[in-house]
Amino acid sequence: MLTKELISRIATATGLSKKQVEHLMSTSNAILRENLMAGKAVSLQGFGALEVKERAPRTIVHPRTGERTVSPGKNQLVFRPVDNLKEELKKI
Amino acid sequence: MAEKLSWTELRRILASRAGVSEKEANTFLTALNAEIVEALKTDKQVKINGLGIFKLQAVAPRKSVNVATGEAITIEGYNKVAFVPEAGVKELIERSGEPRTEDIIPDGNTAQPEADPIKKLGSQAEEIVDILGELGQSPKEEDKPEKVQEPEAVIEPEPIKEPEPVKEPEPVFYVPQSQQTQEPEPPKKKEKKHHFLRDTLICVVILLLLLLVGYFFLRSQLSDLIDSFLPDKTQTEQVAVATDSTAAAIPAPIESPTEEELTEEQILAEFLEASGETEEAETPSDEIYEDIIAIEPMHEASRLTWMSKRFYGTKAYWPYIYDANKDHISNPSKIDVGTPIRVPKLTEAQKDTTSAAYLQLLQEAEEACKK
Repeated sequence: MLTKELISRIATATGLSKKQVEHLMSTSNAILRENLMAGKAVSLQGFGALEVKERAPRTIVHPRTGERTVSPGKNQLVFRPVDNLKEELKKI
Repeated sequence: MAEKLSWTELRRILASRAGVSEKEANTFLTALNAEIVEALKTDKQVKINGLGIFKLQAVAPRKSVNVATGEAITIEGYNKVAFVPEAGVKELIERSGEPRTEDIIPDGNTAQPEADPIKKLGSQAEEIVDILGELGQSPKEEDKPEKVQEPEAVIEPEPIKEPEPVKEPEPVFYVPQSQQTQEPEPPKKKEKKHHFLRDTLICVVILLLLLLVGYFFLRSQLSDLIDSFLPDKTQTEQVAVATDSTAAAIPAPIESPTEEELTEEQILAEFLEASGETEEAETPSDEIYEDIIAIEPMHEASRLTWMSKRFYGTKAYWPYIYDANKDHISNPSKIDVGTPIRVPKLTEAQKDTTSAAYLQLLQEAEEACKK
């Protein structure tokens, strides 16, 4: 499902106009991004949480040349669903 | 990481930013979550612009072992929610780590992790050494660079030293093996000349060898040819011996050409004289065979089957040849070189390979091979 369809669905569900929903969505996404970039996890009630996880630097070996390099650590955006949603989706 | 933006906080911030009431913001957010879950169930994928894609991924069932009992069990497949952040968002998040490393490491290092995506250990180590020199000795930093430096000292020389010695000698070893100069990078003119000389020498040697082999091959072929012509002479000789002693002068001029032929002729003549008329009368072969087409000495590379093929056009009649020479051949597969072999003339009845007589002969001959 693409964003447009999602917006129209939310609009019908909440009774808000599509424009309003679009606006709300873009601002909420901006808020999420800001917080995540600051290293904050964001919990979404009834759905899950978006978290930033740290990946430590490690040495990697080039499979062909055997060259060893250090891949720098990075942060990864991870989604963790709420437990009951996880169980619910397991069997579909 | 410990920090968390709670639901209420999010709702409040959203309301103030978007210029809506908190209630509206709440309904929107709950609807958003509900719709995402719903969409995951139906479409298994939801794309949210400016954030990423939520996917429902299937995990295949797999076999495992019960650790306690050692029993084989299957873990059933299930679905899980995966989130793939948008490319731009992903990059931003990946780099977002630096502010936090800044908390741990003093100012000097902050620029460092941003600048190095993936660098070779050597260059990294150099940079670290530089930084160390600049910063002096703050205890927190030393922990990090040391870790990086240690592997550098052990590992770095390997990739640099290894590939070079392997690559260089290879062409040197390859060149002499190939006869035609296949030099990918001709190093010097002198060396090339040297190789050229060597190659020509090799070529000459090979040519000489080929000529020698060809000579021997032709010689054996020629003698074979001559032998095939011989029987006529020997037959005439045979007749001559029987009828006229003076006619013996006839084969003499023909015998002259080469020494080898002379010896062969001599053997034949001796054989004929020794077993000439008496054997013809005594051996049973004469009762069966009307006439002898040829008598030729056994060659090193010859076989009875090949002689059969040459005289009769098929290998099948070799038992007849054996039968005609039974008196002085015990094993048809082991005939001494130079042994004279009589090739009998076959009647039409004998040429029938399905006849009982032929089959019996074949059996006899084959048994004789096993002796």
